[in-house]
Amino acid sequence: MKISRIFSMTLLAGFAACGPAQAADAAHGQKIFAECAACHSAAKAPSGVGPSLYGVFGRKAGTLDDFRFSPAMKRANIVWSRETLESYIADPQKAIPANRMPFGGIPDAQNRADLLDYMEQTFK
Amino acid sequence: MAKKLKEVDVVIVGLGWTGGILSKELTDAGLKVVALERGGNRTTQDDYALPGVRDELRYVVRHDLMQNTARDTLTVRNNISQEALPMRRLGSFLPGEVVGGSGVHWSGHTWRWTDMELKVRSMYEERYGKKYIPADMTIQDWGVSYAELEPYYEKFERAAAVSGKAGNLRGQIQEGGNPFEAPRQNEYALPPLTKIHASEMFNAAAKNLGYHPFPRPSANASRPYTNQYGAQFGACEYCGYCQRFGCEANAKGSPHVAIIPAVMKSANFELRAHSWVTRVIKDKSGKRVTGVLYINVLTGEEFEQPANMVILTAFALNNVHIMLTSGIGQPYDPKTGKGVIGKNYCYQTGTSATLFFEGKHFNPFMNAGGSNDTIDDFNTNWDFDRSKFGYIGGANISGGFNTNLPIGYRPVPRGTPQWGREWKAATAKWYQAAMKIDASGAVMANRYNYLDLDPTYRNAFGQPLMRMTFDYKENEHKMGQHAAQVINDIAKSMNPTHFTPAVARTDPWTVVPYQSTHNTGGTIMGVNPKSSAVNRYLQSWDCHNLFVVGANVFAHNSSYNPTGPVGALAYWTADAIRNQYLKNPGQLVHA
Repeated sequence: MKISRIFSMTLLAGFAACGPAQAADAAHGQKIFAECAACHSAAKAPSGVGPSLYGVFGRKAGTLDDFRFSPAMKRANIVWSRETLESYIADPQKAIPANRMPFGGIPDAQNRADLLDYMEQTFK
Repeated sequence: MAKKLKEVDVVIVGLGWTGGILSKELTDAGLKVVALERGGNRTTQDDYALPGVRDELRYVVRHDLMQNTARDTLTVRNNISQEALPMRRLGSFLPGEVVGGSGVHWSGHTWRWTDMELKVRSMYEERYGKKYIPADMTIQDWGVSYAELEPYYEKFERAAAVSGKAGNLRGQIQEGGNPFEAPRQNEYALPPLTKIHASEMFNAAAKNLGYHPFPRPSANASRPYTNQYGAQFGACEYCGYCQRFGCEANAKGSPHVAIIPAVMKSANFELRAHSWVTRVIKDKSGKRVTGVLYINVLTGEEFEQPANMVILTAFALNNVHIMLTSGIGQPYDPKTGKGVIGKNYCYQTGTSATLFFEGKHFNPFMNAGGSNDTIDDFNTNWDFDRSKFGYIGGANISGGFNTNLPIGYRPVPRGTPQWGREWKAATAKWYQAAMKIDASGAVMANRYNYLDLDPTYRNAFGQPLMRMTFDYKENEHKMGQHAAQVINDIAKSMNPTHFTPAVARTDPWTVVPYQSTHNTGGTIMGVNPKSSAVNRYLQSWDCHNLFVVGANVFAHNSSYNPTGPVGALAYWTADAIRNQYLKNPGQLVHA
């Protein structure tokens, strides 16, 4: 996990010389986001099958008005940040047991880092 | 008295796959389209989301997405000497009643039917001689060829996010695909699903016996996917709740995900849910239709919706019923063989074996609707010599399982008591350790299997129920015996701890338990108005501005699931309307 953080921070600092398979890469992250897009909107739009992710950074989990969250998500008492999203996406049921997102997670750390880069760039 | 509404260009009766496809194609052509759907409008976020969707009692036992038999059902009998009785609870087949139709609750199995079906009579006569086809087997060519339908199959597969592996790309046999499929121009929209362990075992056993296993093509997205209408699919999560359920992850190719949202954006389109069409109205000449009568089932109000064109896109059986209640086309009479509406009703047959492997953990709760492997060596393989077994058609044989639900799925070896302590111990022991090998077999049309209006029983709207007269004939019995033999040979070669062998059915067909929702025929397509209800473009021979789309046009049934050709024929019909009919309204085929 830590390694992926370093990679992604390197990219944000403007270090883009690594090959695409190695460097954290928001363009690749956008492709990874396809796994989320059937349920989650990345644009300013109402929630769909899943809650809208627009403005997710800094939001308290389970608090969006137009989405019916699971009790587990409402009780989670976390604020979405790069770190909390990273651990949630890695293994959603481990991070917040009994949440209702029907998704097994993204096991590959590099893919998660790229995805979060994309999300940070898009939502911030 | 029905309230008469303002005329529209097209009225679509039933909004599932075929209604969705026709609505999209015809609104794109600039026509004003109204779709009338019996059921309500349900969406993934409001209705199929977790946790509510994983409710076995609601969806499987109480049929929440299906037709309500208290309002309308069929009467059923095995032969014309019997009195038909109403099917008061759904059982053998499950027509959907919701926006999206049966496309919401299907498993997603999507096949391309080949010329072996579309040209069934000519191909069998050529290979086996005219006498090979029994006198009462009323099979006939469909009037369309695989080559003509190929682009439309592909269009449907791309719309529905079908995952699979091509076995024949432009004539080149492909490793890992079905070598007996007809040539495809392109690969599937998505690569095959991940195999479950039971399917891997079946695959190895089938290969070992010299057969040609391949992954079942299915509208379960193996990867995230965006179709030609911009619909976004998530990747299948192998949650095990496929058949009977709406997909919680938008990973199943269902009309309410794949195409209807795109239609809804059109200003030319209007959906009226809870609208039950009772009749298509003909003009005085009897050669044109002028609209439909329908009832709002929430308020009881009756409306007349005038339209320039009527397209019946309801479930196959309901399309036939509407044709009969509307008096369009001559009803079929099995005694004389004359008439066409109700003719060549077909169903499917099948048999299966259950294999138990002590100590195995198959994880039966984890699978996609189509994560099974399958063989077509005794199905679309034309080199397989049927004359040794004396039947026509074939059976697709598959190994694995899907939708094994926590309450209903209780495999136990033969001889286990059906209740009590021993049963409990056996169900705990074998739950993880069982898999199946299934055959799905074709049913050939028979002179005495047909649909007509019941003389006695009526539905909630006072209309006669449709009467189904159906039983399996000698052809199905012979095929079932052969398929059971093949299954049992594969099963034995896998060396299971216990195995419940496949047995060919010889008992009469009954409406219980669930068997298959693949009801076909009743308004069949063909080349001649004397022997078919609609022409090769699914246009009524009687009324040129009426099209009847669905499995009801199949001239017989194959072993395959019907949705592939149902979708392809919907696109084919849409194309004929857009490029031929609109330019020159009238009969597209002169026979």
